[in-house]
Amino acid sequence: MIPAQFEYVRPSSLDEAVRALADGGDDAKVIAGGQSLLPLLRLRLAYPDLLVDVGGLDELCGVTDQGDSLLIGARTTHYHIVHDPMIAEHCGLLAQAAGTVADPAVRHRGTLGGSLAHADPAGDLPAVVLVLEATLVATGPNGRREIPAGEFFADYLTTTLSPGEILTGIRVPKLGKDWGYRYEKFHRTAQAWAIVGVAALARRSNGQVAEARVGLTNMGPVPVRAAAVEAAAAGADASAAALTAAAAAAADGTNPPADLHGQPDYRSHLARVLTGRALAAAAGV
Amino acid sequence: MRLGIGISTYTEMCGLAPSRVVGSLRYGAGGWESASIRMLPTGKVEVVTGSSAHGQGHETAWSQIVADQLGIPFEDIRVLHGDTQVSPKGMDTYGSRSLAVGGMALVGACDKVVAKAKVIAAAMLEASADDLEFSAGKFSVRGDPDASKTIQEVALATFTAHALPDGVEPSLDSEATYDPDNFSFPHGTHLCATEVDTETGFVKIRSYVAVDDIGAVVNPLIVEGQVHGGLAQGIAQALYEEGVYDDDGNLVTTTLADYLLPSAADLPSYVTSRNETVASNRLGVKGVGEAGTIASTPAVVNSIVDALRPFGINDITMPCTPERVWRAIHNSNASDSNGGSA
Repeated sequence: MIPAQFEYVRPSSLDEAVRALADGGDDAKVIAGGQSLLPLLRLRLAYPDLLVDVGGLDELCGVTDQGDSLLIGARTTHYHIVHDPMIAEHCGLLAQAAGTVADPAVRHRGTLGGSLAHADPAGDLPAVVLVLEATLVATGPNGRREIPAGEFFADYLTTTLSPGEILTGIRVPKLGKDWGYRYEKFHRTAQAWAIVGVAALARRSNGQVAEARVGLTNMGPVPVRAAAVEAAAAGADASAAALTAAAAAAADGTNPPADLHGQPDYRSHLARVLTGRALAAAAGV
Repeated sequence: MRLGIGISTYTEMCGLAPSRVVGSLRYGAGGWESASIRMLPTGKVEVVTGSSAHGQGHETAWSQIVADQLGIPFEDIRVLHGDTQVSPKGMDTYGSRSLAVGGMALVGACDKVVAKAKVIAAAMLEASADDLEFSAGKFSVRGDPDASKTIQEVALATFTAHALPDGVEPSLDSEATYDPDNFSFPHGTHLCATEVDTETGFVKIRSYVAVDDIGAVVNPLIVEGQVHGGLAQGIAQALYEEGVYDDDGNLVTTTLADYLLPSAADLPSYVTSRNETVASNRLGVKGVGEAGTIASTPAVVNSIVDALRPFGINDITMPCTPERVWRAIHNSNASDSNGGSA
């Protein structure tokens, strides 16, 4: 289908983009890689009056080392993230998960910031930034603001960004070399969204898991941390049996959706199985 | 994780169809196919086929057949189809019939061109048509190989018509129909090995072997493409594709995010092989369009059921989605007696 009519601007500075977006009010949308928004426009599930294309803002691309953290520009593509040496060294989970997003064509155009701001509960990267305890950096008419990932995802396709704010970057704390990671994505075909996804980080010490973080994709309207699993895994033996036992609580407190690819009970079961596998892989078991 | 092996054999009725047979079944049309050939003064050929292609490569295969039959270069042949102003007669392409019926109509049309050209070549060579033989695009007098005319020379002489025998029309054009005496019967055996993740229900095809007998092969690459495409479609039926309606009758699988199709990333590398026992028609061909689609669906499902035999599972509704496979295991009374979890 052809999208409904909209106005289109392509600002050459962030200030100009913020102004255009603020002037557009509730009916303005930011477009970056367009890999989520364009299908919505074509299916007329979204019909903004104004698209603010941030494709001209090159300062939003790329990764910079900021000491204890990496600052990843919001327009950095999944392809770039998969191949960036600093991301591989300090937050490899993000690269591994970005490599599971859709297909190569989408990964070349789709951006990290776009994926997060779109806040699709089936998107892979929201759960990943949650467990990486990243901070999202946004600029709006009232200036610059930093939002912890845990406070960014408000509801289905909804973030806590204000209407005039543009997500400009993602600050990811560097993880030490004692952290292992794994994103377990369960989907029916290679290009499909996750039916359930599990992002796991584990720090191993003396044959035990000293600390673990687990984030769940598509187990509710927003990505969630599996707090009960994290608590059970901390101090557990780094063994398949112990981590499988810890994973039994993976679906606790979640609200998984029902659709053609899975009913809630199946998703809850998948969350437990995949969490066990992701933790085991992250802990090097 | 459990492994299973599925096998399926098939015999298809192709080459639709003898008109008398389809008539006896109250079919609304005949089963013949038509072809016509226009031999141009340049020696190039335009072929009109009633069996219209939509991507199967008829243009290539038909050109090969005409190149063989008339002994002219492949690149001098143009195949026209797909517009009733160009090809008004034809029953079209379905039932793996195009080569076995449409291809044979083309052979008949080539025969008529050669027969017409032979009379004119005989006059050009001042010989009796009975003494001419036609081979590799050339008419030559038996016992006198230097006395010969190419079919292109004959085509030009036909067009100028300066020295045609009495009563011979200045045309090598022809039209033929072919109504098969019988169906053709391609057959084959396919084997599929799958891994079933018994914890999640996910099915992965580990290897797939297809051995088909489709008779003589005109173009091996096209045949390989037909088999590969057919396998993808049949595997998709077994594992992915499903039109789903809600209780009010609304179709809910309205986009390709809901109606799943596999891509190359989801499919194995196929092992394909062929036996070639020729069919009774002159080309020896049986048809290949549906071979892969027929055998693959049961081969895949059989392999899944084989993997889940320890659970007492004998059937799973298609498509065998991970959720359906998991529920079948989850609801079974038997346990995984061989202990193969994860």
